[in-house]
Amino acid sequence: MLEVLEGGIQTTVQDFPGRVGYLDLGTYPAGPMDHFAFRTANLLVGNAQGAAALEVMVGGLKARFHDRRALALTGADTQATLNGTPLPLWESVAVKAGDLLEMKMLKGAGFRSYVAVSGAFDVPEYMGSRATFTVGGFGGFEGRALKKGDQVRLNPGGTGDTQVGRRLRTNLRPQYGTHSEIEAMRGPQADPDYMTPDDMAFFFSHTWKVDRNSNRMGIRLESHKWQWARTSGGIAGGHPSNILDNGYAVWTVNVCGDQPIILVADGPSLGGFICNATLVSASTWKVGQLVPGRDTIRFKEVTMDEAVQMAQTLDTTISERSIERG
Amino acid sequence: MPQVMPRNRAVIDTLPARGARPPVTYRYAGDRFLLLEYGDMVLDLTMNFRIFGLNDALKRSGVDGLIETVPALRSMLIQYDSLRLPTRRLVDTLKQLEETIASVDDLNIPSRRIELPMAFEDRWTRADIERYVKFTRKDAPNVINGHNIEYIARYNGLRDPEEVIHYLCATEWWNACIGFWPGLPFMFPLDPRFAIVTPKYNPTRPWTPEGAVGIGGPCVAIYPVASPGGYQLFGRTIPIFDLQQRNPAFKDNPILLKAADRVQWVRVTDEALEAIREQVYAGTYRYKIVGYESLNVKSYLKFLESVKPEVAAFQRRQAEAVKQVAIP
Repeated sequence: MLEVLEGGIQTTVQDFPGRVGYLDLGTYPAGPMDHFAFRTANLLVGNAQGAAALEVMVGGLKARFHDRRALALTGADTQATLNGTPLPLWESVAVKAGDLLEMKMLKGAGFRSYVAVSGAFDVPEYMGSRATFTVGGFGGFEGRALKKGDQVRLNPGGTGDTQVGRRLRTNLRPQYGTHSEIEAMRGPQADPDYMTPDDMAFFFSHTWKVDRNSNRMGIRLESHKWQWARTSGGIAGGHPSNILDNGYAVWTVNVCGDQPIILVADGPSLGGFICNATLVSASTWKVGQLVPGRDTIRFKEVTMDEAVQMAQTLDTTISERSIERG
Repeated sequence: MPQVMPRNRAVIDTLPARGARPPVTYRYAGDRFLLLEYGDMVLDLTMNFRIFGLNDALKRSGVDGLIETVPALRSMLIQYDSLRLPTRRLVDTLKQLEETIASVDDLNIPSRRIELPMAFEDRWTRADIERYVKFTRKDAPNVINGHNIEYIARYNGLRDPEEVIHYLCATEWWNACIGFWPGLPFMFPLDPRFAIVTPKYNPTRPWTPEGAVGIGGPCVAIYPVASPGGYQLFGRTIPIFDLQQRNPAFKDNPILLKAADRVQWVRVTDEALEAIREQVYAGTYRYKIVGYESLNVKSYLKFLESVKPEVAAFQRRQAEAVKQVAIP
């Protein structure tokens, strides 16, 4: 059991790939905002990559262990300590009953950290997943972020003795910065039918600022005066960004009026605005580390073939062959 | 001869119209999703029927690597594992399926009929509409006598709220898709003689009771949870979303309605609604669901043809009425 002494800003139980298969009932998948760090944390402690683990936004989590386990911390650096001693990132360590984990303030770039424990967290499966869907208030631990006094159970077994001292190779660890390049594909609604080629050229060359009102539903970027290829949305509405409601791909860029918003883990499943580009699956994890109100991004266009290759490479990276001991 | 057009890199492929079949566009939506669209951007329920026919055929095809589908008005979003199912193979499969459902006339769409009790102009929506007038917009033209239903009447050239209620109950409501919020239905009247329309709130309403039902444009929605909203409210029904799954109707998941369901309103008083809502949460109420009948598109299209003059007459009446009414 993990006893929560302080929940921090937003600490949620997630699993990967989240609640898949319910988009037609209006439910986005939830799951980790940074699946690279999430899956790697599980890999380090010997769990299945999708097993239930914690996503800690900004830090502030303080928790006591009641079991002997292997623990791995990945993602942003929160200057975490175990019983007051600094904890390494991207490396599994042993914890025993009574040990105190403290995650403090963010240091440097990055926004979310992940905490995986061997055996994984034991929260009930809801609609096929243990991920917390913050908007609907379901899944994870009682459908909400953790707070003081919560007791999060761990699955039995999995002391993790053999999973201690595993590290992700240094050259494979992501280097978070205040500016990121994020690979995306054009479409579904781009140029020349919805936007002009100039609009799309701007979209793929501009340095976009991440708005402070960004969260697990959407990453908001700044508004822009698009040229648009149409004068109105016709039957769907007066603005040229309006279309007859359609399903939204997860991690797509939704242009609501003039403002682009990347729809992320807990976003809306369907709506009536165009999506001019969609992040590729191997690049979405970068979004989880963007600091709202500070970081900037640029979208780099890739082809379908490149996206598939990137996905294969990422799966290879997050695998046993990337782990060293010592 | 190839058409000379600027290259559209978002479009994977197209299938030109053939006979009664609309043209199909296949679009990239990243490396895990594909968006399929029928015809032009018009609101035409037969496109939606065809989407369900295709959805059914695609799911039965058992194509390896298909993850899920999101049917919508004239489009379908498809999630697939592109490492197992190459885009080309998926598009080829979809194109082949178009040949097997060549005519929408031949479709029988599995569809449940669900009767939902509705308290029209109820006190719960009235309370939130009053809050809106008090705190958000004092001169909202869409609030008359403390509710939206009189405005809906005037905007459509109907005599009074009673006639609005008659219209709303005279047709089944086709749930074209679910989305935005878990369990939120987008419903359209199957009988176009009763197709009322309204503009939306301006600005939107910060409060809406759970179970409230409203109309925006031609579309009717039920609010699954208390939330902000922009549709003109006309009543309240029973829960369509229950996280705690307190009723057998929510046994499999907390969401009642599915795409391609047909909803029929059954008028009840506020008191009766309150009593039924208590039974819902006590687990004793049985939702009135007729499990799969099917909607035969051929006979439906025949019906549409037969009511054309009446539909045109109502549309003229609406067009006249709109001129007399302020837009929010």
